[in-house]
Amino acid sequence: MRKLLNTSKFISVFMISFIMGVAVNAQNNPDTIPEKITELKDQVSGLNERLLTAESDLAKHNKIKISGYTQAQWEHYELATAYPNQQFTLRRVRIKATYEAADGVKFVLQPDFSPGALALKDAYVVLNDRWTKSFSLTMGQFNRPNYEVEYSSSQREVPERSRIVRALYPGERAIGAKLEYNPTNMPLKIQLAIFNGNDGSTYKDALGANINPTNKDFDNFKDIMARATYSIKLGSFGGLDFGAHAYFGAIKATTDTIVKGDYTKDAYIKIGDPLKRSWAGLEFQLFADVLGGMSLKGEYIMGTNVTPGNTGSTSGTALASVFKNDTLFNTTTITNTTTRTPNFTTKFSGYYLYFIKNVGKKNQFALRYDVYDPNTDIKGTDVMSTLKYENSVTKTASASTTTNNTVNTTTTKTVTKTSIKSSVADLSYSTLTLAWHYYFDDNIRITLAYEMPVNEKVGQDALGNSNLSTTSSVNNVTKTLNYNTVFPQNTLTLRLQAKF
Amino acid sequence: MKKSIIFSILGVVTLISFAFMAPEKITIKGSDTMVILSQKWAEVYMKTNPNASVQVTGGGSGVGISALINGATDIANSSRPMKQPEIEKLKSRYNTLGVEIPCAKDGITVFLNESNPVKELSIQQLSGIFSGKITNWKDVGGSDAPITLYGRENSSGTYVYFKDNVVKNDYAASCQTLPGTAAVVNAVKKDKNSIGYGGAAYAAGVKHCKVKKDAKSIAYEPTAENVKANLYPISRYLYMYTRNRPTGAMKAFIDWVLGPQGQKLVTEVGYFPVK
Repeated sequence: MRKLLNTSKFISVFMISFIMGVAVNAQNNPDTIPEKITELKDQVSGLNERLLTAESDLAKHNKIKISGYTQAQWEHYELATAYPNQQFTLRRVRIKATYEAADGVKFVLQPDFSPGALALKDAYVVLNDRWTKSFSLTMGQFNRPNYEVEYSSSQREVPERSRIVRALYPGERAIGAKLEYNPTNMPLKIQLAIFNGNDGSTYKDALGANINPTNKDFDNFKDIMARATYSIKLGSFGGLDFGAHAYFGAIKATTDTIVKGDYTKDAYIKIGDPLKRSWAGLEFQLFADVLGGMSLKGEYIMGTNVTPGNTGSTSGTALASVFKNDTLFNTTTITNTTTRTPNFTTKFSGYYLYFIKNVGKKNQFALRYDVYDPNTDIKGTDVMSTLKYENSVTKTASASTTTNNTVNTTTTKTVTKTSIKSSVADLSYSTLTLAWHYYFDDNIRITLAYEMPVNEKVGQDALGNSNLSTTSSVNNVTKTLNYNTVFPQNTLTLRLQAKF
Repeated sequence: MKKSIIFSILGVVTLISFAFMAPEKITIKGSDTMVILSQKWAEVYMKTNPNASVQVTGGGSGVGISALINGATDIANSSRPMKQPEIEKLKSRYNTLGVEIPCAKDGITVFLNESNPVKELSIQQLSGIFSGKITNWKDVGGSDAPITLYGRENSSGTYVYFKDNVVKNDYAASCQTLPGTAAVVNAVKKDKNSIGYGGAAYAAGVKHCKVKKDAKSIAYEPTAENVKANLYPISRYLYMYTRNRPTGAMKAFIDWVLGPQGQKLVTEVGYFPVK
């Protein structure tokens, strides 16, 4: 733009100087006036051409929009096993580039530059329909259609999303395609998306290795999401947005047994067949013009989730030598062990509720209460009390070969179906989060937040000992978390966010 | 215990909220079309209310609404309704939907050079001209000459309104954008083959093109009577937007704007009153 202004100034100065020059010359020699005017016209035409070229170049640059934000923070953790228990971190460092190639065509690229965790967040193309201006098609990696997922972390009123949303939509984004209907004449939005379905999820084999390391699909089943929202105005009081979303998906069975959330056997299944998972949620956002603006937002989600079973194999070779009648016998024993844990399906439920209140133009208070029970089939007191699924089966097959009189090889194959037992992953959590924001200016937000999770308590034995505890060594001192108590695990966050 | 903590916190926050109510100094930012009108309002209002302070700046409707969302202004002037993404931003920052106050009516005028033989155009013809499909005056009943286009910058509400309601397409790349309707009028005055659009308040010195809804309709000039009677097809409301229901000094000013004195100034400046 400055370049254009400079060009305009140059043209103005040039024109004034030239006209003055022509006037002076005309007084001296009237015959040169037509020549001078022609010359002037040519030069102005040339400059005009350059100006149009510069405008065209500038228009190309205007198609690119760069935005982003950085969240630098200091956190203090009250969890006994946390070490260090206070630290500075860069929670999010995002730069978003949007290129509008043509009317209705948009390309978005957003990496996250957090130290040690460089990751691609968004990479998608949006095609808007040019005729009704109501439909858009998005393809690539983008946010899954859910209110809290799509609500930007730079705007969210508490530092992190609720526990249930983080569990159901890890990493928030997924690779797929989305059709959106958003008519211009009514406040309705309908989203229909199809995804690979395993994005951001970690599934481990029996040896602990992630079988979904690249976040690409590892089965042929695609997951479908649908969300519809509608807005109504409540006169001068404010407005209400409400809606629902549903998820229908499947992951391939990796072992042949399904165990239910209460740790009883449900059914046998063929490896590779779909393990179905589905859930639905209801949401609302109430905005009220009360003493400077406030809102109440919430969502309740319930359904069934699955964790594929895992298969691991180990192989061992043992050599033994023995003399018999002055003859050395070498014996090799090869042991192949395959361990299979069952596929696990659980019913779950959870919700979150936000209360947000603006205090003047610069300050904002937020409170969120969220609950997530990942396994509604059992209570906390049932956790670890018994091994309800104990279908532990070991099948062993041995074969021996003798290649000559001195060498004997025995191969043993063992397949073990292991038991699975309830764990800390079955416990429900309720979390109260308080946050105060100060908006320093248009770009800077300072946040002080305190997150207070409360774990569900597990049962205890006759001696009063916890059925479940985890230990961790902190500087050679063993720290124990006893899950038959509500142990301290609060987090204090002081965050400085810069957005542009 | 947890409930009592939550209710105590909510009580404290509500009490603190009372301390941050309406400001005494009022800032207005936005639509260039409304700058002269708003300045007139501010000037007369401050004369009759010596303790009041009203500061007015332009920049375009989009700029004003952005300032409202960012907390940089108390009132945003806009010559178009707020868009849904803007309402969403206001929701997420201030948890309100904004308050829309129609305060005047305007007819968007299509300017032609006085020497242009063309007197009237339909909406469809205007769409063709500004989208670049019609490039010669002879195609709309004029002389054989190329059409030069002048329009507003994309931060302007007039730009958006004209695009959404008349052009209904992208503007032609050859449409030269100018900062303010006065600049458009000035450019059309100097260029006999040109056409431009802007607010009626700035129309002195150039010819007003009559506009008709379609080829069969009657063409109307953007006069007060035609705009009031909704006969002129490109008329619109001019709005003031606030984040919350106005209170205190801001309510007093807006009530005055919508009252007889404020609406009288609307007519004096060249727009049409809403009351």
